[in-house]
Parts: sequence; C-alpha cells; structure tokens
Amino acid sequence: MSNAIPVTRTRRKAQTPEERRRSKIIQISLGVVVSIVVLFFAYLAQQTNPAGAFIILVGTGFGYTLQRSRFCFTSSLRDPLLTGTTDLTKAVVIALTLASLVFMALNMQKFGMDLKQLEVEKALGNVLPIGLHTAIGGFLFGIGAVIAGGCASGTLMRMGEGYAQNWLAFVFFVFGSMLGTALLNLMKTSPIFWTGTAVFLPEVLGGWIPAVIVQFGALFGLYVAADYWGKKKAGAL
Amino acid sequence: MQNETEKKLSFWEAYFKKEWSYTAGGVMLVILAVSLVVVTGKAWGVTGPFAVWGGKLFELFGVSAESLNFWAEGIATYDFFKDIVSMTDLGIVLGALLAVLLAASFKIKKMKSWRQVVAAVLGGVLMGIGARLALGCNIGSLFSALPAFSLHGWAFLLFFFLGAAVGSQMLKRYFM
Repeated sequence: MSNAIPVTRTRRKAQTPEERRRSKIIQISLGVVVSIVVLFFAYLAQQTNPAGAFIILVGTGFGYTLQRSRFCFTSSLRDPLLTGTTDLTKAVVIALTLASLVFMALNMQKFGMDLKQLEVEKALGNVLPIGLHTAIGGFLFGIGAVIAGGCASGTLMRMGEGYAQNWLAFVFFVFGSMLGTALLNLMKTSPIFWTGTAVFLPEVLGGWIPAVIVQFGALFGLYVAADYWGKKKAGAL
Repeated sequence: MQNETEKKLSFWEAYFKKEWSYTAGGVMLVILAVSLVVVTGKAWGVTGPFAVWGGKLFELFGVSAESLNFWAEGIATYDFFKDIVSMTDLGIVLGALLAVLLAASFKIKKMKSWRQVVAAVLGGVLMGIGARLALGCNIGSLFSALPAFSLHGWAFLLFFFLGAAVGSQMLKRYFM
C-alpha cells in the first residue's frame, strides 16, 4: 500500500507488449548500473571510514527493504484512521517488539542484570531527553508526514521511486530542520520546554523486570488494539 | 489444488517483482538496524544531518560556518563519510531506486496539482521543525528509541499519532 493517496489516472497510453518488454530490459540494466554505483560509494566511504562500506550497504538494505515491503510508519498510523486497515500497524508493532528484545539484551549485557554499571547516556539505542519539546515535535511531525505523503524514511524511499512531491518535501524538510534546530536552541533556555532529562524505563521503574512488564505489556496492548480496530472496521466483529 | 489455478511466476516475477509482506519488511529492518548498532555503537537515524545539509547551501552563498551553527549545529566539523546517518540516507535513496528498477516499475511521478505542491512544502517544513524539536524523526525518536526502553520514544509515538490524526483531517479537507 503506497503512502501517497492513489490518484486514478484516467487517460494513460497503453503500452504494447513489445514496448513493455523493452522498458523492462532497460530498467533492469539501469538497476545493475545503480548497484555498481552503490559499490562505488561503498569503496569511497571505506577510504575515510573503517566501517564505511558496511554502513553504505546497510543503508542500501534499508532502502531496498522499505521499497519492497511498502513498510511505512506514517501509513501505519494514518491508514487506521483513513481506511480502517491495520495490517501495517500490526507489522510495525511486531518490528518494535523484536527490536525491543534485541535492545534489551544488548543493554542487559552492557549495564548488568542489576543495572550496577548503568550510565544512561551510554545506552545502546536512542535514550534521549523528554519534555514538552518532544510532544510539540512529535505532533508537528505527524501532521507534516501525513500531508507530505511520507515520513523521514518514507520521503527518502519515495525520492528513489521517482515521486516529485517527495523531492520537493525533502528540500523543505531540510529548511525546516534549520528552523527546528534554531527553535530547539531557544527552547533549551527555558525550563518549561526543556528539562534535559532522559527517562530510561528500567532505571525509573526500579529494574529490568518491571520495565519488561510495562514495555512488552504496552506493545501487546497496542497489537490487540490494532487487531480489534482492523476487524471492527472490516465488519468482522 | 489452489496453486495450479494461479499463473506460474517466472524467476524474475517471483524474486524481483513480487512485493514482500509488511512483516518480512519489518523483520529485515530490525536486523539491519541492530547490525548497525552492534558494529558502530550508534542507532539508526535519518534526519540528524538535514540541518547541516541546508547550512552547507547557505555556506555556498558566503554565510560563515560560525554564524550558521545556531541553525545547523556541527556544520564546521561535518564530514559526509564520517557521518553514519548521512551515509545510510544516501543508501536509502539508492536502495529504493535499485529495488524499483530491478522490479521494472520506476516511473517519474509528477505533481498533479498546486495542492500537492502546497502539501509538500508545508509538510516538509513541519517535519523538519518537528524532528529537530523531538530530537529525531520516526526513526531516531521512534524506531531506535522506543525499543531502547526510552520514554521519549513512547511519547513521540503518542504525539506522532495525534499529529497524524489531525493531518489526516487536513488531507481529506484541503489536499485531496
């Protein structure tokens, strides 16, 4: 399911089978060229960064996966509201659950089961300050992602797919980021907007066990809610 | 047998043309994101370097790096091939392009109305401001944050959802 709202094309010239075959051969050949370009960038990155080639290839894997699976965070939140489908929402919850298991294991190894060696700033994954700025930022981001037809990863992915709308959104995403950086710098001077405190659940809840119960309980709750909503909208309940 | 009634897919159709399931995509993204964390120690992000890219453009027009730092933090020391997020961002665009080309479904999709132009401009600016205020986008402050047991990831998800609800109404009313 594409994130861009499908616009039905009324008049589109039908291709003859011959034209279709030629276009297919050209596209696949260009695909081979792009994979060579990827390898070239990997080689270039390796010259300055010991993990450079690996990072470029992982990034390419992200793009390939996002495109092939139509996995999109914005759609996962928007589709339940617009069309009532929650298949993608459930897939996002599954991904967040799997990732939670892995990050939990990595941070358990790093900080110990008793959190004796805990230093929140060193946690693997982004454990970052929360405050009013998070709420305002998330809210604005949600509006923007839905009307622009793609979140951050989705915008980059659809740029690769050839959507002009996402190229334009990207340009303004960049300018918006400059405005946002300045605005955050201003907010940081006010304790109302900026507390600077990162909240790591195992630390505030008093250990891994309560954190695991809260984290996976909430994820399970989300999954059940998404499943229920999808069935209800489809008229199965 | 149900399979016999379906058209048999060619090798190319089965492995390059056919789309993956959402769950398969999600699992692949988790594996890629985790391998990135294990090797580099840093979680996957997307929007971090955007402000610096904008700053570089202003630098071309003669604005100094010091005066830009308030708008584009870290611009003076930025190096594309030392910045993990910049490199994976390039990879996302190239990887998506690679996937559509191999599936032979690349097509330049032009904007069809002024509404789409306004939506892209407004949406882009809002995402930029929002991502910086929240210290990350749907990747940095959600996909790499919520699974790390960080409360700000959960807060981002909640307000992202509320924003998406308002955005859906705006989309229905003004941009469709």
